Amino acid sequence: MTTQELATQLQERFDAEQGEPDGLASPGWLSVTVCSDRLLDAIRWLWEDAGYRFLISAGSDLRRERGKYLVTNLFAQDEHGIYLAVHTEVDPEQPSIPSITPIVPAANWTERELRDMIGVVPEGHPDPRRLVLADDWPEDLYPLRWDVEHGIKPPPSDCQVPREPPPEGSSVVPLGPYFPSLEEPAYFRLFVEGEEVVGADYRGFYNHRGIEKMGCSVLTYNQIPFIAERICGICGCVHSTAYCQAVERAAGIEIPERAKYIRTIMLELERMQSHLLWLGIAGHIVGFDTVLMQTWRMREPIMWLSEKLSGNRRVYGGNIIGGVRLDIPTEVHQDVLDMLDKLETEWKALYKSIPGDTSLMARLRGTGVLPHELAVERCVVGPTARGSGVAIDTRLDHPYAAYDRLEFEKCVHDGCDNLSRTLVRLDETLVSIGLIRQALQQMPDGPILTQIDEDIPGGFEGFSGVEAPRGEVVHWVLTGDENRPTRWRPRAPTYANLQVVPPMLKGSQLADAPINIASFDPCFSCTDRMEVVDMRTDDEYD
Amino acid sequence: MLLSKLRQALICLLAGKVTLSYPAKPRPPEEGFRGYPEVDVNKCIGCGACAAVCPARLIKIEDVDQTTRRMTRLLERCVFCGRCAEVCPEDAITMSKQFELTSDQARQDLTHVCEVFMATCKRCGRCYEPATPLDRIMEPGFRHDQIDRGGDRCPYPELRAPDSESPSTDEHDEHDEHLDEPVSAQVAQVVEAK
Amino acid sequence: MLKKLCKKAFFKSLWIYHTNTGACNGCDIELIDVLTPYYDAERFGMKLVGSPRHADVLVCCGPVTRQVVPALKRLYEAVPDPKLVIAVGSCASGGGIWYDSYNIVGGVDVVLPVDYYIPGCPPRPEAILHGVAMALGLVEKQVEAEGLRQLPDRPETVPMDVPEHRGRK
Repeated sequence: MTTQELATQLQERFDAEQGEPDGLASPGWLSVTVCSDRLLDAIRWLWEDAGYRFLISAGSDLRRERGKYLVTNLFAQDEHGIYLAVHTEVDPEQPSIPSITPIVPAANWTERELRDMIGVVPEGHPDPRRLVLADDWPEDLYPLRWDVEHGIKPPPSDCQVPREPPPEGSSVVPLGPYFPSLEEPAYFRLFVEGEEVVGADYRGFYNHRGIEKMGCSVLTYNQIPFIAERICGICGCVHSTAYCQAVERAAGIEIPERAKYIRTIMLELERMQSHLLWLGIAGHIVGFDTVLMQTWRMREPIMWLSEKLSGNRRVYGGNIIGGVRLDIPTEVHQDVLDMLDKLETEWKALYKSIPGDTSLMARLRGTGVLPHELAVERCVVGPTARGSGVAIDTRLDHPYAAYDRLEFEKCVHDGCDNLSRTLVRLDETLVSIGLIRQALQQMPDGPILTQIDEDIPGGFEGFSGVEAPRGEVVHWVLTGDENRPTRWRPRAPTYANLQVVPPMLKGSQLADAPINIASFDPCFSCTDRMEVVDMRTDDEYD
Repeated sequence: MLLSKLRQALICLLAGKVTLSYPAKPRPPEEGFRGYPEVDVNKCIGCGACAAVCPARLIKIEDVDQTTRRMTRLLERCVFCGRCAEVCPEDAITMSKQFELTSDQARQDLTHVCEVFMATCKRCGRCYEPATPLDRIMEPGFRHDQIDRGGDRCPYPELRAPDSESPSTDEHDEHDEHLDEPVSAQVAQVVEAK
Repeated sequence: MLKKLCKKAFFKSLWIYHTNTGACNGCDIELIDVLTPYYDAERFGMKLVGSPRHADVLVCCGPVTRQVVPALKRLYEAVPDPKLVIAVGSCASGGGIWYDSYNIVGGVDVVLPVDYYIPGCPPRPEAILHGVAMALGLVEKQVEAEGLRQLPDRPETVPMDVPEHRGRK
């Protein structure tokens, strides 16, 4: 199905109007507006019949421009390679919208966030508690409205977020917000009967830093990539790449070929170091610190190389709108290849030694089972999805940067347990090594930055998905007039993956909870943006 | 099982001892590393391009009189992105290799103040359209009188630092005999002069 | 006085409790990196502990968010005296790129007295080691010694001749 056919179908069935004219110009991206009466029908059709996967929703305050709030639900269809935005206008006098969570369970958090941040109430939401803002934040102050100052510091209110009551007969084990095994603050309440976990309640967003508000109020287009990169300190480059691609798409900027290859290489370097990091943390959590020490030792040359290529070990700072700032000159190609050869040798040795290790297998095989159906229903992404047999990979389904010119395959395992997720990451690291080699070989000469002479026009939409080490990152941008976006909505992969933790923990052993959570490679900072954390892995990070 | 353990032992043995002897021996970063941004005050023309692009918004501009512009850099907040060095039309800023910035009083040690004779600024116009730099510095968040270290407006009164009641009394104001007229008047002067 | 005492008390080994006060994880990861083979901070007796009650040093990464304030204060009280607080990263030092956001209270020093600041985004592992070594009294402070700080008593007013080419005619 092409976007044109989809637009016609939506028009016939739900009176959906096509959005900006540029929406159709780019294949793979469509934007339509549906009135709120038909919204649930349209969502039901997309979700149940047409095979669309829910990504995120965004609320925008367009009272200045159009006199309305705008609620946008974003979907992806991976077989046809289509991203779809469904807009619904909301009257400021009656800021409410029918909740889609009863149809699409994955929309749970994002609709709660809608209520917190912009004050549009999802009617019929099964769990209308506060999600993002602090407990002492006043009730009727919505930070993302344009007339709320970005630096507002309201005095504490006595607002309280109610806790979910434990099921009959179980006891509560509170974890957090700071506890020994977690690095990042998160507050879990595990409901247990004996050793068995029967439920969990999560209160996170301790790392909420208000990034979206800053992007729409004080920063300019070219400052945002740097703040986007700091959404997550482990996989920041994916965020700045996704943001830049979204703005470039909105403004119709074509970036040079060489810049696409450089972005690809930096993204793959980041994926390698992130997977190595994850394996070390997982080893630490299951009590096998040799894995931590050795994988992090193997990871260190990648960090040194990043410093050489970009000037910083972790936060490359290479992306700006129109291309990249940092070139990869021919002189350093050999350094990159040497590093890759060494890493490949060590990685293969490591790969061979893992499956036979009974102590690791005892902790990984058969634990943390995430059934295929649950993974599809909750729209999980990345290695978490691929470990449950869901074959989605943004790099191949919705190609960006230079990935459409490189040859590689999706790494999918269908064991649905912690072991499968581990194997997916082990495989992907080898794939990344191959991708960097191909990219270095094919990289054309030429400029790395397009000169942008005209201002970026306001009122256009841009959208981009990027495959981060943890899953699909999506950024949606609505351009504005003051040299900054009117609305910028990033979604981190952990935002999708973390929501599946409570149902997945049900029935597992208390002792396995840390590795089960860690196997998602949750990144609380990204999610809380965003942020939050969890129990996870982080464990120790510490 | 045994084979697997042997393989693991081999990985560790082959690696050997890798620990670096830092800090006993220095370990300078690679070429191109973005460390402490050093400013060559002789080259700076005070155009404010660096303040306009800084994502952390830490370069505060203050016009102490018609010909002197003071630029205060609150480098304890710096994210070392190097954008200021990139956009500087005079190449006055270089990202040095200095990364050992540990300090026990970061606010004093990492605040950098420089004053620039401003005849040039009025006709700068080299990096942006004429109106832009001046417009930019009048926006909230760019002005010296709005130095906000975070916490000055902290919602919890008991956490507010004692001196934050009067945020303008930081250390260089004591030495400052120029600040006798309101800043908005100075801006107006600059605009007029332009 | 207190500082001298601290130096005396902390010249051997530091047990560290690490907290994320709202960071992006970059500094947290580099901090763990310091414990892995290439940097091996355990050479200095530095060790991460699982409970604030075992710790000498509270290492904070990240700007302090509103949600974290009450937990952080409790955490500080749980660390036995004498104690040090080290702020790692530009965000913890002064609020970083987020300093004026609605959900950020400021740098760590808004809530707790901070003894050492290690700016960087994120700081290299070497920079963190340098900070720890400074807390142990092994190395000297670099920022002031290098003359990186210019005080107002030596004003840097530079009256210069304006070359013609700079003008926009």
